[in-house]
Amino acid sequence: MNRITRARRRTALVRFWRDLRGHRTAVAGMTILGVFVLVALLAPILADPIGLDVTKSTAAGHMGPSWSYPLGTDENGRSILTLLIYGTRISLLVGVTATLIAIALGTVVGIAAGFYGGWVRSMLMGVTDWFLVIPFLPLAIVLATVLERSLFNIILVIGITSWPGTARLICAQTLSVRARPYMERARALGASDWHQMTRHVLPNVMPLVLANLVLTVSIAILSETTLSFLGLGDPTRPSWGYILENAFGAGAMSNGEWWYVMPPGICVVLVVLAFTMVGRALEATLNPRLKEGAA
Amino acid sequence: MKILTKAAAAVLAAGLMAIPATPVHATGRAAAPTPAPSQGTLTFTIGIQSDVDSTNPFTGIVAEAYEAYQLMYDYLMQSSAKDMTPSPALAESWQESADKKSWTYKIRSGVKWSDGQPLTAADAAYTFNRIIKGDYEQTNYGNYVVNIERAEAPDPTTLVLYVKKPTPIMEHLAIPILPEHIWKGIDAKAVKSYANEPTDGKPVVGSGPFVLVERKKQQYLRFVANKNYWGGAPHFDQLVFRVFTNADAEAEALRRGEIDYAYDLKSAVYDSLKNTPGITARASVYTGFNEVAFNTGAALADGTPIGDGHPALKDKQVRQAISMSIDRDTLVKRVLNGNGSAGDSFIPPIYKALHYVPTGDKQGYDPAKANQLLDAAGWVKGSDGIRAKDGKKLSLRLFTRDASKDSQASGEFVKGWLKDVGIDVKVKLMSEDALTEVIGQGNFDMFEWGWVVEPDPDYQLSTFTCGKRSYKDGGSIYADLSDSFYCNPAYDQLYDQQAGETDPAKRAALVQQMQKLVYDDAPYAVTYFYDDLVAYRSDRWTGFVAQPDPDGSILFQYGIYSYLTIKPVAKETTAASASESGGGGGGAPVVIGAVVGVVVVGAVGLVLARRRRTASADERE
Repeated sequence: MNRITRARRRTALVRFWRDLRGHRTAVAGMTILGVFVLVALLAPILADPIGLDVTKSTAAGHMGPSWSYPLGTDENGRSILTLLIYGTRISLLVGVTATLIAIALGTVVGIAAGFYGGWVRSMLMGVTDWFLVIPFLPLAIVLATVLERSLFNIILVIGITSWPGTARLICAQTLSVRARPYMERARALGASDWHQMTRHVLPNVMPLVLANLVLTVSIAILSETTLSFLGLGDPTRPSWGYILENAFGAGAMSNGEWWYVMPPGICVVLVVLAFTMVGRALEATLNPRLKEGAA
Repeated sequence: MKILTKAAAAVLAAGLMAIPATPVHATGRAAAPTPAPSQGTLTFTIGIQSDVDSTNPFTGIVAEAYEAYQLMYDYLMQSSAKDMTPSPALAESWQESADKKSWTYKIRSGVKWSDGQPLTAADAAYTFNRIIKGDYEQTNYGNYVVNIERAEAPDPTTLVLYVKKPTPIMEHLAIPILPEHIWKGIDAKAVKSYANEPTDGKPVVGSGPFVLVERKKQQYLRFVANKNYWGGAPHFDQLVFRVFTNADAEAEALRRGEIDYAYDLKSAVYDSLKNTPGITARASVYTGFNEVAFNTGAALADGTPIGDGHPALKDKQVRQAISMSIDRDTLVKRVLNGNGSAGDSFIPPIYKALHYVPTGDKQGYDPAKANQLLDAAGWVKGSDGIRAKDGKKLSLRLFTRDASKDSQASGEFVKGWLKDVGIDVKVKLMSEDALTEVIGQGNFDMFEWGWVVEPDPDYQLSTFTCGKRSYKDGGSIYADLSDSFYCNPAYDQLYDQQAGETDPAKRAALVQQMQKLVYDDAPYAVTYFYDDLVAYRSDRWTGFVAQPDPDGSILFQYGIYSYLTIKPVAKETTAASASESGGGGGGAPVVIGAVVGVVVVGAVGLVLARRRRTASADERE
């Protein structure tokens, strides 16, 4: 990569950052996300991991909020705040990793379908459509039931059920990129399919991929929470959905223990909201047509 | 009921659903329609969570089904309400012959089937012979008739059962006596799919205190009282079993007064009902226990080793050490919310005469002793805190059941305690179907499950005999009753001895001796004996009989005592307290429900917004 390209890219990045900062929602979203990421990274400092071990808890179960237990205790006497802090880790991890899988899958399928066209496209888009029409939740539940209950599998399940939207989007964008004159020129100069896809198509669909990525994370986190709440998550690692499931199982709803149910729920809403705000802002910044529309 | 715990049976029943073993979370009330109350009919409604899987007594397996059979049919004997010893029912008395080759039962005279036909010893003989000669009929009752050669009815009030060898089970024949004139028309093939449900408005012919008149699958069963019942007419006209999808919905229905009795509650829900006016919540001592079972060296009944169990668990010292690392009192306190007692030997203490209480050999919570035992067994702690021997780590799998919250919680606790003594535990959740399969193949180290023990201990005792280990048929291995693959010739010898001992005291001594053997060899670490958690409208009903007296279950017993004794409390108080309890309460759940609702709606909104956005971006391309 030569100096000119590098400089051009840097200016583009600076301009992108400035544009993004211009969106008030993006700033708010990033702030919220920053807090949650910090909590996830600093979890062992914020709360002693020993608090997750049921055999080490000494407090009574089902306690309301107090100074030593700001969010009360669960049925086993563990601090709900500790669970919540470590839950942040798992929920974010699952959300982001599952999204990476989904986006990678969606991008590959989308580019391949859009680039080759013809029967390849019909076939790939056929599969995509098939995945798209299957209702997400039943498919995810069936997959999660068939597979073992582990963190890896829950990531896999969410990953392979949330790629079709991205694939369609990328396919459409690839179609438009492929029709541009410089692609014809590249072909005339003897560029291989691989070169065209990685050097010309991919950079052009990247903004879309990026925006989609951030938006998919919020759906992935929501899915993780749903599946965990339905008892299909990894029971040995507390995520927010796991806390909600436990609360339900322990009768927190019947007993009116709001301190058990509300915090994980609020966390989920905040993170999903934050990702969505950032994603929308990204989309608006990166997609010139949307920018014009906004202006 | 005999083989499976309540939960296991429920899962089997649920196996018919599209997605098996998926816990269904549904808050709020179940909208199951109930039969319309007729004017002036006094109805007692029981909430259940597992629907009666079949009203055909040869087919059903859940506890709720067995309860229905007890209500529809008569049995030769029942377990006494006082101490669960055999007591007369349809048979007024019985006698073992002097040569110990037959038993004679005197059948009550004047008993009639609900269609007016007389019930005689011929019906009883027919039922027994059908099971003895049957194939499908053996599934539920086979273990009672193993030793019975044939049944004869020399006259309408005498039933003679000829036995191959003396056996104490002849006083515990929990077999419903069926009407010959109905069942003779249902051949060996038809019985497999026979529903035994009311058809064309005609009730199911029976002789019990209640007659099944209506049944809607997954909704309700409706029984009408048999006013001519030989044991006395019930004090109400109609009995309804209403099916709920979860304990929360069931508890809510009880609060609202839609049902009178809530069966099979979870401890959390049970606790929330404790201080409700008009409702009595009751934790009754129960006949079940839970255990952490070990793979003591899986093998077929002929001794061929199978499976992939960890070799460390073949060592009794290691198993004892694990048993001593489990703090049972904490399990009872945390997992059961205190509704149960710490476990020791495998016949529950509810059977006072049979239960073995360990004294000097007690494997109490003692991590120091556990560490010593493990050291002595040659498993030394490595730098990572995990024990190892000859380069093999002491890392064990522990399978828990995903259908049971208590099982999962127990697994968490055991994992923590074993880590303290240097044993690495990998907890894995499984559906009960999958676990049964895995156990049969011997592909496990440890698992958490439980049993419900019948008044006659024979069945439970048999689960530890060598002969009940898995067997091979064709190329595949099938599970039998043994799930720890325990095999001890001394135990087997005692087992045969007790199976032929008809003197209750001598037999009890043998049974205790057997439990002592098993306790010391520790194929099971019995974790706890759990209580039967129920709640009922004490402002409306009174007169329940506990079995055994005074702490036992008050319904779903080995007998039908309470159904004949419960009666409504005086009318005035009913009306007053009903209106009182119908009003207040339920504020907090509503608030939480609303919040959760808002969260869900918000989330759905986001997704929808996102979808629309994607769509519009798509269109713009």
